[in-house]
Amino acid sequence: MLVFLKKIGFILSGFLLLSFLISYGSLWLLRQSHFYKPAYLANGVVQKQFDYIVLGASTGLTTIDTELIDSELDVKGINLAVDDTSLPSQYLMLQHFLAEGKQTDYCILAPNPTNYTTKHDDISDNDYRFLMYIDRPYVYDHFKNFTGFRAHALTLSRWLPTIGVSYYNAEVFYPSLLSVLSPERRNRFDINGNYTYPNYKTPSRPIENFENFPIDFTNNYLKKIKALCQLHDITLICYISPMEGKKAAFDDTEYLIIDHSDVLKDSRYFHDMIHVNTLGRDKASRQLTIDFNKYIITEQ
Amino acid sequence: MLASYIFYAWWDWRFLGLIAFSTLVDFIVGRQLHKVSNINNRKVLLILSLTCNLGLLGFFKYYNFFIESWMDAWALFGISMDVDTLKIILPVGISFYTFQTLSYTIDVYRNKLEPTSDFIQFAAYVSFFPQLVAGPIERAKNLLPQFNKSRVFDSQFALSGFYLIIWGLFKKVVVADNCAFFVNQIFDGAGSYSSMELFMGALLFGFQIYGDFSGYSDIAIGVARLFGFSLKVNFAFPYFSRDIAEFWRRWHISLSTWFRDYLYIPLGGSRGSLLSQLRNVAIVFLVSGLWHGANWTFIIWGGIHSLLFLPLLMTKTNRIFVDDNRLHFRQLFKIMITFVLVSLAWIYFRADTVLNANNMIVDIFSFNSCSLSLFHTTSKSLLFSMIIGVSLIVLLLFEYNAIQKNHKEVRLSSYSAIFIALLIAFMGVFKNPADFIYFQF
Repeated sequence: MLVFLKKIGFILSGFLLLSFLISYGSLWLLRQSHFYKPAYLANGVVQKQFDYIVLGASTGLTTIDTELIDSELDVKGINLAVDDTSLPSQYLMLQHFLAEGKQTDYCILAPNPTNYTTKHDDISDNDYRFLMYIDRPYVYDHFKNFTGFRAHALTLSRWLPTIGVSYYNAEVFYPSLLSVLSPERRNRFDINGNYTYPNYKTPSRPIENFENFPIDFTNNYLKKIKALCQLHDITLICYISPMEGKKAAFDDTEYLIIDHSDVLKDSRYFHDMIHVNTLGRDKASRQLTIDFNKYIITEQ
Repeated sequence: MLASYIFYAWWDWRFLGLIAFSTLVDFIVGRQLHKVSNINNRKVLLILSLTCNLGLLGFFKYYNFFIESWMDAWALFGISMDVDTLKIILPVGISFYTFQTLSYTIDVYRNKLEPTSDFIQFAAYVSFFPQLVAGPIERAKNLLPQFNKSRVFDSQFALSGFYLIIWGLFKKVVVADNCAFFVNQIFDGAGSYSSMELFMGALLFGFQIYGDFSGYSDIAIGVARLFGFSLKVNFAFPYFSRDIAEFWRRWHISLSTWFRDYLYIPLGGSRGSLLSQLRNVAIVFLVSGLWHGANWTFIIWGGIHSLLFLPLLMTKTNRIFVDDNRLHFRQLFKIMITFVLVSLAWIYFRADTVLNANNMIVDIFSFNSCSLSLFHTTSKSLLFSMIIGVSLIVLLLFEYNAIQKNHKEVRLSSYSAIFIALLIAFMGVFKNPADFIYFQF
């Protein structure tokens, strides 16, 4: 038995030690890179003061063209939206933005419209993109808020990074190797944090009927985002991105709302039901420029 | 026994009754066979066991298949029959434990085995948890006595089990599950891929099913060794086979030998005329296909293997590699041809319908395009291609090394175990793992 235990002990400790070194190195490399947005914000964005930031999911990432808004309004913004995320992750991104010592006047929140109403939040598919900051309390606390294997894997990575890096090896380990070769490579977003879906040859088809899409702005993390914004003197604007054939329906609310759910009235602007293509992004961003400017003028 | 029953109940406790029933029937039949000497009475007891076990297997696994095939057959003559099919859940492992318990009864019937008088021992043999759900299909002669043996912990034996578990995990989590990434895409949308991509899909499925099934067997054998039990080797590096006959001596050995002992030999085996030998081989392959699943695709898969095997039997070249275990470089071509033939046959095994498989075969041999864009157009597919490439090199190198040393399994050292464990950690699929393929059988 002793021989067995000694051998097993040797193999396990050898594995744990080497995998720890590899995983720790992998996270360190990603932390120095521009590959995922949290690291890009820390390493690739020098500017500290912004006029606005965009938080959100793929809807915010692909609908709002900050470059266009900046040039039209002579302001400076950055798109911090991350695809496949929900409001808890967007709250985390806001914490991360502030922790990096950056400040903004406005925060345009552009999640998937259903998220405003979500009652039970869960960890998002792409939350591993914060894994390299697991030693920071707000990141660790974020993962700790959730249950389930994914959340536990990320939480435990604070002490044993092998768990998270191994579970997300395709998303964390290999990109870290890539970032050795190309530290400034970004994962599907441009220098302003934007990304767009290409224009497929979607036939032009006018949208005449818009089905009601009820939203009630009751999500707990929406309240947390608002509270954090207030604490840092940031004006929060809830943006409802365009949906094909749907019109947001909501009662009066305490939040500032820009409802663009029905601004695009032709199928050719859409990539799918809730995402626009490049053509749609341009039109939606121009409309947002106009409505966002009203808030800026009002405040001035 | 209790641990095995808890293990099985974890999946679905309602089906515990089936195992218990099979166990009880064969235990009683075994005891009675020991007491009864009249040949007719012995036959009745054997038929009782066969009816109960194969009846349950037939109902749970094949009822809908036979009903649908029956209706389809009448439809060929323009007669429409409307017989209801049932929504039947296939109890996991039923094909495996049914064959295991049957082998006991048949061996007792043939007076090759003394029946046990210990019900707990017998129930533990039928439900032994490491191999309960996907084999290896054990024989009572090998496994049953081990339950009564006083177990003294053997460090080297347990260590070999631990190494096998690591190697099995590598085959499942790294080789099979990464291959599944492309295999699922190709088989789900076969019409939209080039000939070369479809061909690669067939080859990759060959590695997927090997990694998946032999990986499970290795883990099962390894876990059993940790508890001091020795299970039979189920795979002996089948993709290094130099012809189909050798492939079947190396692939799913516990099933092949089961069919050899309990179907092929009773049918007459290699005795009699060449025609009867050919018939026996064809029956074994077709039944083996049907054992895998209630679908014509499996039967055709078995049929293809019999067609590949029969020429060897006719030319009496089916046993030329029986005692020749050493590989030579000049045999590489034979190995590759065998692997390609096996992989093409796998298309029927993997496809949902015979029509889909036929179309895929036709598309492969239409040589419409040599494009392999599926494997490198996106960064994700390029990553998976590289991981698969590296994992297959590791797999084949370790296996080749084992063959050259005349080992029956890959033997890891402490250092290579650490290396393989690191490959599992950083190349394995953990986020969206695929189920074990053979759990469905």
